[in-house]
Amino acid sequence: MDETLATELAVDVREKEKRLAAWLGEQPSVLLGFSGGVDSAYLGCVAVETLGKERTLAAIGRSPSYPDEQWATARSIAERVGLPILEVDTHEMDDPRYAANPTNRCYFCKTELWTVLQRVARERGIATIIDGTNADDRSDWRPGTQAAREHEIRSPLAEVGMTKAEIRFLSRQRGLPTWSKPSSPCLSSRLPYGTPVTAPRLRQVELAESALRELGVVGDLRVRHHGDLARVELDRRELDDWLEPARLAALRNAVTSAGFERVALDLRGFRSGSLNVLGGVSAA
Amino acid sequence: MSAEALRQALAALGIHGSVEARGALAILTLHGDGAPLRDRELRARAVALASENGFTNLALEVSDSSGEGAALHRD
Repeated sequence: MDETLATELAVDVREKEKRLAAWLGEQPSVLLGFSGGVDSAYLGCVAVETLGKERTLAAIGRSPSYPDEQWATARSIAERVGLPILEVDTHEMDDPRYAANPTNRCYFCKTELWTVLQRVARERGIATIIDGTNADDRSDWRPGTQAAREHEIRSPLAEVGMTKAEIRFLSRQRGLPTWSKPSSPCLSSRLPYGTPVTAPRLRQVELAESALRELGVVGDLRVRHHGDLARVELDRRELDDWLEPARLAALRNAVTSAGFERVALDLRGFRSGSLNVLGGVSAA
Repeated sequence: MSAEALRQALAALGIHGSVEARGALAILTLHGDGAPLRDRELRARAVALASENGFTNLALEVSDSSGEGAALHRD
């Protein structure tokens, strides 16, 4: 990239960060829906820097659809940036509308999360609930956004027009380890729509992905649950290596150790929302 | 969407195996190892063929025998 252009872009991004801090500074206090992912980690960092620990609280919603590894990351990030956290249990799995796994499943999950966080905010006198939705997210199929609107959740990153790439750039500048972290939506996103969400199925996916990480898989990774068969999506740049016979065999062993009988490697590689495509919700 | 049509199209590319349809997912089980699919260009053509035949995804089944080539390499 041309050096002048790069400098101009960096200035523009920092300008957005200033607007973000100004936005946060106008809030008496915030409660952040915190997953420990790229967006909420960055937002939490700026929030606590702007408002201080007394006026900032990050809430982690815990349920079987939230991977243990991500929970550990979330705690570690919070500790690193001095972000106070509160862990709350959410019970979306008990909602039959969620468990049936319709195409708007995220709506029911977020409805549960935001209902719980509204109660927390009320009890603690916190003025504003915020989430890490960014400007890119607004163009995706995201039924969870409706739940956020209904519960008056604010999305400052999106409101100042900050994109995922910009959040990664600014996270890197701040030395946040999440800057290069792959996106990691909840485990239920690995089940095709219409396949009931159950704790054992989610656990199977979590174990398989964890085994593959231990095996050395880097970058984007999804184990899609198709009943007896696991369809593995790897970062496209990794596919060549993993098609080597020895690595294929190791990959199979890792995934079958999680209880899948059959294993298939997706030849297109990772695609965000690939089950939306398979389920006909979005275009191929 | 036809598994048989896709099988024939893949065979014409030199990729020999069986194809199982699970909705819009095509599962390819190769006769032999996965060597042809390590060619990025050929892989892209195989995926495109799956798409042309109405499938949204093409996945290579990793069977017990997929690692046999590895044993040969080690020998």
